[in-house]
Amino acid sequence: MTHRWSKAWALILFCAAVFPAFPVNADTTGLTSTAMLTPISDQQYLTGSFALDRHLDGFEAPLTSTGEFTLSPSKGLIWQNLKPFPDTTVMNDQGITRKHDDRTFETIASGARFHQFIALISAVLGGNWDPLSDQFTITPAKTATASNWQVTLAPKNNNGLSEQISQIIVKGDEFVTHVTLHKPSGDRDEITLNDQKRHDLPLPTDLAKLLSGNFD
Amino acid sequence: MAVRGGIWGIFLLIMVASAIWQVTSGSARIDGDVLSLIGLEKTDDTARKSDIETVRDLLANDANQAIIMVSANQQDMLETATRALASDIANIPGTKSVSMPGYDAGNLARLSDFYLPHAQSLLSDRDRALLRDGNGEPVYQNAVKTLYAPASMVSAASLRADPFSLLPNFLAELGNKLGPSGIVQRDNNFYTPILIILTPDLRRQGRDIAWVGKVNDVITNAQNNTNQSDGLTIAKTGQVFFAVAEATAAKADVQRIAIIATLGIFAMVLSVFFSPLPLIGTLITVGSGLIAGIAAVTLIFDGIHAIALVFGASLIGISVDYALHYLVLPADEKSPTARIATIRSGLSLGLLTSVCGFAVLAISPAILLAQIAVYSIAGLIAAYVTVLFVLPLLPARSIKHRSLIPRVYQKLDDTLRRLRLPRLVRGMAALAILGGFAICILFIPTDDDIRHLGHGNDTLTTQAGLIGDTMGMGGNPVFIRIDGADSQSRLQTGEAVQNALRPLIKDGTVGSAFGLSDMIPSIKRQDENRTLIKDQLFEIYAPKLAPLLPINIQTPNPDAPYLHADADAFVQFPELANLRDGTTDIVRLNAVTDANAVAMAIANIDAARLINPRATITDQFSHYRNWATVGLAIALLSAGILAIARYGMIRGLCVLGTPAGAMLVALGGAATIGITINFFTIMALFLVFAIGADYVIFFSESQKHRQQDTTRFAVFLSLISSILAFGLLASSSVPVVSAIGTIMAIGLPTAWVLSYAMCPTSVKADQSDV
Repeated sequence: MTHRWSKAWALILFCAAVFPAFPVNADTTGLTSTAMLTPISDQQYLTGSFALDRHLDGFEAPLTSTGEFTLSPSKGLIWQNLKPFPDTTVMNDQGITRKHDDRTFETIASGARFHQFIALISAVLGGNWDPLSDQFTITPAKTATASNWQVTLAPKNNNGLSEQISQIIVKGDEFVTHVTLHKPSGDRDEITLNDQKRHDLPLPTDLAKLLSGNFD
Repeated sequence: MAVRGGIWGIFLLIMVASAIWQVTSGSARIDGDVLSLIGLEKTDDTARKSDIETVRDLLANDANQAIIMVSANQQDMLETATRALASDIANIPGTKSVSMPGYDAGNLARLSDFYLPHAQSLLSDRDRALLRDGNGEPVYQNAVKTLYAPASMVSAASLRADPFSLLPNFLAELGNKLGPSGIVQRDNNFYTPILIILTPDLRRQGRDIAWVGKVNDVITNAQNNTNQSDGLTIAKTGQVFFAVAEATAAKADVQRIAIIATLGIFAMVLSVFFSPLPLIGTLITVGSGLIAGIAAVTLIFDGIHAIALVFGASLIGISVDYALHYLVLPADEKSPTARIATIRSGLSLGLLTSVCGFAVLAISPAILLAQIAVYSIAGLIAAYVTVLFVLPLLPARSIKHRSLIPRVYQKLDDTLRRLRLPRLVRGMAALAILGGFAICILFIPTDDDIRHLGHGNDTLTTQAGLIGDTMGMGGNPVFIRIDGADSQSRLQTGEAVQNALRPLIKDGTVGSAFGLSDMIPSIKRQDENRTLIKDQLFEIYAPKLAPLLPINIQTPNPDAPYLHADADAFVQFPELANLRDGTTDIVRLNAVTDANAVAMAIANIDAARLINPRATITDQFSHYRNWATVGLAIALLSAGILAIARYGMIRGLCVLGTPAGAMLVALGGAATIGITINFFTIMALFLVFAIGADYVIFFSESQKHRQQDTTRFAVFLSLISSILAFGLLASSSVPVVSAIGTIMAIGLPTAWVLSYAMCPTSVKADQSDV
């Protein structure tokens, strides 16, 4: 009955899908070196905007949200919903925290395990597919080109991921541009990423505070 | 004589074959776990289990689990090592399953499927408190934000059944109640557990020692294959590790004591007779006692407990008395039959007294006492029969009076024979001894704490403490038992218990508490939840939520089926079976730092009671001690009646006063050196009583056949052999065995000296009973 890591798995899936930077060193998986991206180092962070369309099986209209994100391979991820409701979720080594409108914070989940998803993102951003290959079968699209590529991730059956995700399709060019998470229920999340920029650390003070767990 | 000896020899061979078959076939095995012997007693109330039965059931369940905690200073290293270790352990025969809470995905899908149809009957404590306060806004806001959260688990199905996303909060809280697990970071180190379930037959088939050995090998290999800089450490805990450690230590002690005692007795017999024949006679007698004891126990019981085995090894000290009593008889012109006739009455009375004493234990409800009693009675009877039927077949050998032991004996005997007290004084002394013994046994401090019984293993204890402190797992389990005739009343009580414990969980006095009512709320609670959800959420917030959702929000159906703790639930979640035992529900507590605070918190809940297994088992041993003490009193009374009937009032009292005096001195001596009284020391007193009674009975009976000199020498040799056997017990590393040995080492010489003082008619120089 150890379901409490389900959110962690969901985050790992989410992050693995959204930020799988690109197969610069793809020898171990057979991916061709089509990436145009220079991997983000630990001394850098990535910012951009997103649009999330959550398609629920049997319903025509998706639940749509838009906002901005900040990813630091060494610090974590800040996911800021702007529409339809402002909401900030911080994910770092210590867990998931939600910032409420009244500037209070609520810990959604905590534990050292969250190191795993940060490490996963960092490894991927470094162009190393090995961490993903433990959990996923990674298949590059045959029609991919260096400027327009696609990778399909399928959870391996020997872990619990397959209970929550059936397939992830990642598309991109210089950055990841589009991610589709297919769930066993038939639902799917479509995530479009735009305006991505790479910056050198340090993070702006307010973001650094959020990612360091300083919520005062 | 030869025919009877032959028939008895065949009987012995059959018993040997039976014992060997029972042990080698696994039908009867040696068990080192103290807990495995307790709580098997019959109770009058068949509907409601006693605390000790419930404790035994829970501990039996826990016995099939083991925990290994891996730590490293790098998470990557931790994961690699943990996965490798878990894989190796999974491949060890006897491992049923292995799970890694830090890396396994968990049972979310199974739980969601189970709960989703009942989502509008379930609330987390936090959401319930908010709704009860009329503050549904945060719950509504959470529902809205969850719709768009990056890692949300909402689906079309979940929104239909649970539009306000209440179930994830309920499930998250359920996870917290299960206690901490996963990965813990502390002082720059990361810790994660591996949970191991053992096959149910592992211990029953005696394969637990091999399993523990292989686990230790796997751990050693993992540590050897890792750089020291990685800081990899591995700790383990579980009943199986402690039980194997205890059994190994006990068996090593038994082997050492048995070997040294046997060699010592051999040396003694050889030095006295200068012939191997008496040695053979001694061996046959002792061997027949051991064989009969083991055969009887394995025939009646499923196994022999290590404690019963230790007592069995000690049996050498008694059964050798019978052999020596015959062997020291002069090898004169008398026929073997005539020679045996001179000691038969003494042997018979001694045996009868001992059997009376042990028979009291045999009818006790405790398996451990029954095993010891069966072992001792069968062994003594076999030794007795061997002396009567087999030893007379051996050629007689005379004592070599110029050898060391007879010469030492002569000097001691000369001194002790001067102990001549008037009859009245002896009678008064016997009465004083009996009174003193009664007072002593009633008022001497007792200590039945089971923690003080075992050998202990500092490494395992330290590792168990580390795992408990770090992960909140393992260690001494504490639980609350909830009794009630029907399931719903117990579930409601369980909810009341959780409410009462909430402040203690908040302040860290209790790490976590988990019971059946956390998985399956009572119908009353489900009704309350439905009302709160309908009144405080749907009626107020459904109109606001509806435009955001692509579904029509349905008002909760008041007639929807309830979640029940029924067979279906138990089939889907077999783990729940550990939380219900007959008409008792169990709330398991983790990381309890103050049991008294827990007891106080639930004091007003009539149907709930805190159970500390360690305290419960200690109480059980206290009960055993009381039982053994009563048994000892009955044995003394029986022996007193026999002695008075045989020897008259004063002499009978004197005969009884000898073993009683030995026990009194042993108790006082033990108390002086810090040994407290428990069930096992009372059992040692039983042995002092049985052997001491033999001494004085042999003394008393010897005068009828004018065999006083040889009898006193036989008793002296018996004393040496008993000291060899029981004195060595005092050297055992197992505290309880050492205490037994100390009691014996003090009691037996006292019985020997008192036999001179209390039975002067057996002393050749004083033929008259003055």
